[in-house]
Amino acid sequence: MRPLSSGNLWRIIGIFAVLSTLLLVAGFGFAVKDLLYPKGGAFTGKSNVPALPAEGKLSEGKDIVITAIGDSLTKGTGDASGEGYVKQLVALLKQKYPDTSVRLNNNLAVNGLKADWLEQLLESDKGYSFALRQANVIVFTIGGNDLFQIASGTSPGKAADGLNLDKLKADLPQALNRLAKVVKRLHAINPHAQVVYVGMYNPFYNIPEYRGGSLQIQQWNERAYALLHQYSNMTMVPTFDLFENAIGRYLSSDHFHPNHDGYAQIAARIVQSLE
Amino acid sequence: MKALDRLLPLIQNETLKIWKKKRFFVILLVLLILIPIFTYAQHRIDETNKKNFKDWRNQLVQQISEYQNTLASDRIPEEWKLSRRIAVQQLQYYLDHDVNPNSPDGVTFTRTFLSNAVTLFFPLLVLALASDLVSGESAAGTIKMLLTRPVRRWKILFSKLVALSLYVSLTVVMTAVLCYLISGAVFGYKGWEMPVFTGFVINGSSIDSGFAHAIPQGLYLLMEAGLIWVSAMTVALLALMVSVLVRSTAASIVTMMAAVISGTILSNMASSWHSAKFIFSVNLQLTDYLAGSPPPITGMTLGFSLVTLACWGIASLIVSFSVFTKQDILN
Repeated sequence: MRPLSSGNLWRIIGIFAVLSTLLLVAGFGFAVKDLLYPKGGAFTGKSNVPALPAEGKLSEGKDIVITAIGDSLTKGTGDASGEGYVKQLVALLKQKYPDTSVRLNNNLAVNGLKADWLEQLLESDKGYSFALRQANVIVFTIGGNDLFQIASGTSPGKAADGLNLDKLKADLPQALNRLAKVVKRLHAINPHAQVVYVGMYNPFYNIPEYRGGSLQIQQWNERAYALLHQYSNMTMVPTFDLFENAIGRYLSSDHFHPNHDGYAQIAARIVQSLE
Repeated sequence: MKALDRLLPLIQNETLKIWKKKRFFVILLVLLILIPIFTYAQHRIDETNKKNFKDWRNQLVQQISEYQNTLASDRIPEEWKLSRRIAVQQLQYYLDHDVNPNSPDGVTFTRTFLSNAVTLFFPLLVLALASDLVSGESAAGTIKMLLTRPVRRWKILFSKLVALSLYVSLTVVMTAVLCYLISGAVFGYKGWEMPVFTGFVINGSSIDSGFAHAIPQGLYLLMEAGLIWVSAMTVALLALMVSVLVRSTAASIVTMMAAVISGTILSNMASSWHSAKFIFSVNLQLTDYLAGSPPPITGMTLGFSLVTLACWGIASLIVSFSVFTKQDILN
């Protein structure tokens, strides 16, 4: 190959560079026009609704798809390993059904989530519906923040200070109403999946003044069970007994959330309830 | 016309000088090494996501949920929450319209690469071209030959400026082309038609999607490249000024790099120092306005950034030309 004469080289560089410049200036013009004088345009995406999973026993199906929603308990707050009960549940299900593929679809839990907010998410958030419809096992926790009115990360002292047993009692009906809406929505989105609700416990059982709170918690659990009982695919696993005598073993240092072992017990109970 | 006739050979001369210095080859070489590395990294990320998520929607909804968790935390500063809140709303908009914001294809990779490169990588490439434009002549002593020719000094500097602009354009276009060609080999050469949303208006802590509209990703890429060209040109003008003022090339590169890097650091500090928005390097990320990301300092808009960059550019041109035409050349 003969080296280009400098005249030709200049012509090639010059033409390419001028064309590039024109292109870029045009792009800049489009960008400025689009940004300074925006025109809203309706874009209708196609909606994508996945098919519901087959009904029936987990052991007979090809795969187990788990979607978890709810508050910090589902998120796994307090578990130093970050697994929470959801990941431990996946591991236990893999042991229980070695021939089936077990997959965690999504864990969409948000720390501090309350039932009314969850209900809104279920109603309007397409992502939630999408992830829930794919699942044949749905696990959820909700209500703790409605009742205790404390966000995750609050120090245990503060949590106990803010607790007022009378208020707890007064808030109960309202919170249960919200739970009823959540359960109804959940059923509307996916009537086929096995739904497990993790019952509530009293994290302050070992503080004498707040021991009485357990009675309110138990009322919540009873009423929650009544709500779930309307649907044959829904059930509830109890957790209150874990956090009474063994509270020191199963509660994390924030004195509100379970620790790794506490979550392991919850996961074990969920597995027992699934078939 | 006559003036142009005399200028054109000068521009040709300067263009060929930059070519012979092989600076542009260095840029291409850097791109040829870096782009495959990033392509591989992106490929690994995609592999992991494919393993963990069945569908991009699952991945997106998980990402939204994780952002919501940081929003729920009391330990996260309010400024970070603001940008997260906006990101959540944007991702939600994509999800609601069933459009994948990170679809794995060559055009998406190019779009992401370019918008990540605008604050540091492009300025660096521009400095490789611009920093020794005048200071190199001082160092080599050729400046005397150049200035003793019967040509007005401003014409010499002007031809250097035009040659530099040509190479800046080439650099931006070549980066996009190489990015597309290399990443396309892995991710596929598609994605031109895919819709991308732009026109999100940020109002305080929430995002107004009333003006949001979809444009084809190819057009988005073109708009992005145009905005990058403007910030790269501003850096080029400043670098030219520094190159006139400072006689050593090393000092000129260090000065400019320090200015550019300090801007990046300032933008990342979610600065409560409001006057920092008048610094040119805080304004370089023009592509953020297109994507609808919150600006580094609240209250900044595309118009503001363009005016700020233009002021810096014009000021540096004035300084360059007045110094270059009057300066005494001593040894």
